[in-house]
Amino acid sequence: MKYKLLPASLLAAVTVIPLSANAEYSVSDEIRVLQGFQAGGGSDALAQLVHPHLRESLGVNFINEYIPGATGAIAWTRLTHQSPKDGTVVSITNTPMLMTNYIINDAISYSIEELTPIANVVTDPGIIVVHPDSPYETVEDLFAAAEENPGRITIGNSGVGGDDYFSTIMVERATGLDFELVPFAGDGPSATAAMGGQIDASFNNVGIVYGHLQANSLRPLAVFTEERLPMLPDVPTLKEVGYDVINGSSRGYSAPAGIPDEARDQLIAAFEELANNEQFLQQAEDRAFYIDIVTGDDYMEMMQNMERTFGDIWAEVEDDV
Amino acid sequence: MDPSLLLVGITNVLSWSNLLLILGGTLMGMFVGAMPGLSATMALALLLPITFSLDPASGLSMLASLYVGASYGGSIAAILLNTPGTPSAAATVLDGYPLSQQGKAGKALGISLFSSFCGGLMSGIALLVAAPLLGIIVLKFGPVELFAIAVLGITIIGSLSQGSVISGLLSGGLGLLVSTVGMDLITGTPRMTFGEINLFSGISFTVALIGLFSIPQALLLIEKAGLGEKKVASKVTDRIIPHWVDIKALMPNIGRSGAIGILTGLIPGTGGDTASWFAYNEAKRFAKDKSRFGKGDLAGLSAPETANNAVVGGALIPTIALGIPGSSSTAILLGALMVHGILPGPNLLTEHGDVTYTLIWAVILANFALLAVGLLFTRMCVGVTKVPDGFVATAIIILCVVGSFAINNSFFDVALMFGFGLFGYWMIKAGMAPAPMVVGLILGPVMETSYQQSMLIGGNNPMVFVNSPIALTLLLLALFSVLQATPLFGTLRKRLKKQSHQQAR
Repeated sequence: MKYKLLPASLLAAVTVIPLSANAEYSVSDEIRVLQGFQAGGGSDALAQLVHPHLRESLGVNFINEYIPGATGAIAWTRLTHQSPKDGTVVSITNTPMLMTNYIINDAISYSIEELTPIANVVTDPGIIVVHPDSPYETVEDLFAAAEENPGRITIGNSGVGGDDYFSTIMVERATGLDFELVPFAGDGPSATAAMGGQIDASFNNVGIVYGHLQANSLRPLAVFTEERLPMLPDVPTLKEVGYDVINGSSRGYSAPAGIPDEARDQLIAAFEELANNEQFLQQAEDRAFYIDIVTGDDYMEMMQNMERTFGDIWAEVEDDV
Repeated sequence: MDPSLLLVGITNVLSWSNLLLILGGTLMGMFVGAMPGLSATMALALLLPITFSLDPASGLSMLASLYVGASYGGSIAAILLNTPGTPSAAATVLDGYPLSQQGKAGKALGISLFSSFCGGLMSGIALLVAAPLLGIIVLKFGPVELFAIAVLGITIIGSLSQGSVISGLLSGGLGLLVSTVGMDLITGTPRMTFGEINLFSGISFTVALIGLFSIPQALLLIEKAGLGEKKVASKVTDRIIPHWVDIKALMPNIGRSGAIGILTGLIPGTGGDTASWFAYNEAKRFAKDKSRFGKGDLAGLSAPETANNAVVGGALIPTIALGIPGSSSTAILLGALMVHGILPGPNLLTEHGDVTYTLIWAVILANFALLAVGLLFTRMCVGVTKVPDGFVATAIIILCVVGSFAINNSFFDVALMFGFGLFGYWMIKAGMAPAPMVVGLILGPVMETSYQQSMLIGGNNPMVFVNSPIALTLLLLALFSVLQATPLFGTLRKRLKKQSHQQAR
């Protein structure tokens, strides 16, 4: 494996490998991957994990193109409106941000109808964390405090439109409680504010806070999943407590709408293969990635469900923010 | 903290391959840092892919030394070309360039190199000793305290306004105004974006900074070249190795600026740029003869250079101890850790202690490498200044285009950079300093969001700022800083005014 720098495009890292003789991807021997975030971020970490395996199964080189800005919307607009629809360009699609971007801002013009969803790969489940010395030992304690002091319990999130922002509103709707939402510029700052005791709780994501949970600098109260997580067996789900709120932040791959069926099927097959790849699963576990492979039409359905849920919520709360 | 990890770390660093990577990283960092518009962050982003194939300890050592090298490299262009090579070298221009115009470029570079070395070494040692302890303090900085820091930072605008205070404040106000472009953090509403999706994330201050500082400089160079004037400045004729007398006189200043750098680096979201202005301001405040500042004062050169290198270790403290990047450069280092499968967070000091202590020792060693490589490489930089103005101007513009494109891989940013460049050119012609505008741009978003968050947390009661002892102290300092800048001493003010008129470019 050899890495080479292209001076012309300073941030584009190109992985050069000799192509294997049994190249399987019928469309091209090169796939450009548009990333809507900075190199070194969560999307990039996913790419670094996934690409070596896909390279092997598809026999293609992956070229990462970083186009950060407008929480990914610039990259996704380019994917849907300005990219060849031949299977040579895909993008890492972060949900629900992919949909909430255009739900919240009319100026963002793409929609999921203009996409060919290939596969969701990871889901970082939502979690409620508090300061380790917080008086709230359980999620019930937190909710009881919110009931006594309506609108005075401060809950940090990763920013308006992010998954944690919507999780908070979903919990408010499910419980009938009223929190004070404090947006931060990302998951990290929101977690830090909880660690520093500046907010009562942070609605965050497991992958972001896992290190802090291990080091006991944050205490988990509940996760927003169907089942308890294998890595956090002692943390209850919100469902157990009686509120059906499932949410998280997912990342996968999508192509523009209208790519050849053959290309779509080959890409989907490659991702389905990943689900049974022991080496890949082990690497994902080492990086605390929670693998959640959902492909093709099911991925589209997942997106459509999110679009509906978050669209409804936003229509309701839009005038309040 | 396990003392054996300290030893494991130093054994790792002292392997031949790692030492080579550190030397190479420092050299490359210095080279990239010396190019106007290519910041330490960019240098790191550039090299990050190369380290993927290295083992985590070696890759991080290389990135750390690159960071150290780039932090010094920025001052080479600042001193020789009057163009900051990196945003954090912007303050270095003020006294560094006048020195090179006086034929003391070698002295300026030597002092800058030595200051960088001292600052870097101080912060490296601080990092080694204090990483586990200081992690606790950083957590005490929430939105309330950040707001107070930003307010203190804004008061720096007053002392940056060379020439007319009014035009300085106007420039700072413009910076604050421009910083409001983009999505509002609290409501998600795009402001002043005119439906332009490229403006949703706001204007990257690096883009604005490249434009404001570099393009006007290139245009002024072209003007000069058109006049057929012979180039006077920027020859390194004198010796680089600093004289002991100068070093001895600068020591208290270096100590103070180093401490400022480390502390500024500690605070998430602030980096070398803030620290260098802060240190410059304090050096001026402590100086007996303030009139020499802006005309080639050694303290005015040494302060920002010490501070911006001291930021390296300072910014790594929260990065390592808490997994919270202290600056945009350490954010990339954090990204590098994640690529190597190491989860950032407090367990970096326990579970991955060997890698972490290798990184810390690499920072310390990189400073020695910097001293050695700097003495050799800086001489080579003389070549840069022998190139005719027209070529230099062209090269600056090309690097500006490359640099502004590379931040977000966006041509929109290139156009924006040129816009700021033309505006900056006009500002200089109108006698308005661009530096306050940059300060406003950097601190505007910090101040606004931390204010909004503080009010949400404090139940819309402004008393929240008074109830935090840290915030209260900082705000009182800011008040003092403002009062001190008012015309309490009429004669001194008159003298400063006269001097700055002579300075006006």
